[in-house]
Amino acid sequence: MLGLQAFFFYIFAFIAVGGALMVVFARNPVHSVLFLILTFVAAAGLFLLAGAEFLALILIVVYVGAVAILFLFVVMMLDLDLGQMKKGALRYAPFGLIIGLVLLAELIIAATGGAYHPELSQTTALPMQPLYELSNINALGSVLYTRYILFFQLAGLILFVAMVGAIVLTLRHKEGIKRQSISAQNARNPATAIEIRKVESGRGL
Amino acid sequence: MEIGLGHYLTVAAILFVTGVFGIFMNRKNIITILMSVELILLSVNINMVAFSAFLGDLVGQVFALFILTVAAAEAAIGLAILVVFFRNRGSIAVDDVNTMKG
Amino acid sequence: MSALLASYLPIVIFVGVALILGLALLVSPFLLAFKAPDDEKLSAYECGFDAFDDSRMKFDVRFYLVSILFIIFDLEVAFLFPWAASFGTLGWFGFWSMMVFLGVLTVGFVYEWKKGALEWD
Repeated sequence: MLGLQAFFFYIFAFIAVGGALMVVFARNPVHSVLFLILTFVAAAGLFLLAGAEFLALILIVVYVGAVAILFLFVVMMLDLDLGQMKKGALRYAPFGLIIGLVLLAELIIAATGGAYHPELSQTTALPMQPLYELSNINALGSVLYTRYILFFQLAGLILFVAMVGAIVLTLRHKEGIKRQSISAQNARNPATAIEIRKVESGRGL
Repeated sequence: MEIGLGHYLTVAAILFVTGVFGIFMNRKNIITILMSVELILLSVNINMVAFSAFLGDLVGQVFALFILTVAAAEAAIGLAILVVFFRNRGSIAVDDVNTMKG
Repeated sequence: MSALLASYLPIVIFVGVALILGLALLVSPFLLAFKAPDDEKLSAYECGFDAFDDSRMKFDVRFYLVSILFIIFDLEVAFLFPWAASFGTLGWFGFWSMMVFLGVLTVGFVYEWKKGALEWD
């Protein structure tokens, strides 16, 4: 069973890393977005292996279902000139490569050096109960809305600002379109809707 | 073969560095820059979940959920700004955005 | 932990079968199909013509606004799931906490409704 877990970890890890590399190196932005989706699905698999099943499924629902589709919309919406975009792409590549390698070395030294404090595992703020007592989603729900209410409400405000900001930035009404006003239609009565005029014969209105 | 914390942190580190490199590499294409930022935030989330699992602490998962929220809102607003920029300028090359003054 | 992962085994089998089936259907025509290409067969059909421009069409910006609003409400629903799952143990504090959250987003919803962001034209 443990060997199977390691097997799936390596599969998901290689898919995630390969997908991430293809996001950066793919020539066509549409392919980049599709590889981003692949990376997110593999990361969801990694989350699942770590026992965070709610986050894994939210990652698929929110990222694959919404954010990646948003990226796809934007790529399709803006008529991009592919040749123009890759021109001069390699100018900054050596600089990025140096910074990337330095960062990678630092992170791997920090991650695998085993330099954690030995008492680290005794300082948990919120010990996880075993899964057969409390499922992952119940454990999250029992603290998210009460103990972390401040962050929860902040997340709500961030979503609110994102919604208002997106509308303010992108909403443009076309001029000269007649819209339906249902309340105005319903408020009409014969007195305001009909006008009776006397038409004199031979003269018209 | 036991999968430990170091395995997860290594994957997260590689994803993070790929995202940073993507920002430098695709200076002309702000959409790919935003996707690189998403990769970086994903690697942070992997770190959070890995520490949460291996320390037996739920707080990591709670904050990973908040990071997910902020990242999605950031992508939405970033792409909205990009759409407005494209509408005004007709291109998305960010290396001439520095002419955008005052 | 392993009991949790074992409960996902049917999904793994499902994905595996789907992959095998999809790849088999993708690869088998290359191996099995009879191929005799010539110039006439490969050219455009007699009443067809060469493409004028790229087949990628520009989308309207309004699609983007709809999908952005979808993301926001998708995240709102994501926060509702754990609340619903542990509703019985949360008590009144948890209930009103979620009501305030929903209230803030309802203000945003009223704003977008009044602003006309949900109208197509």
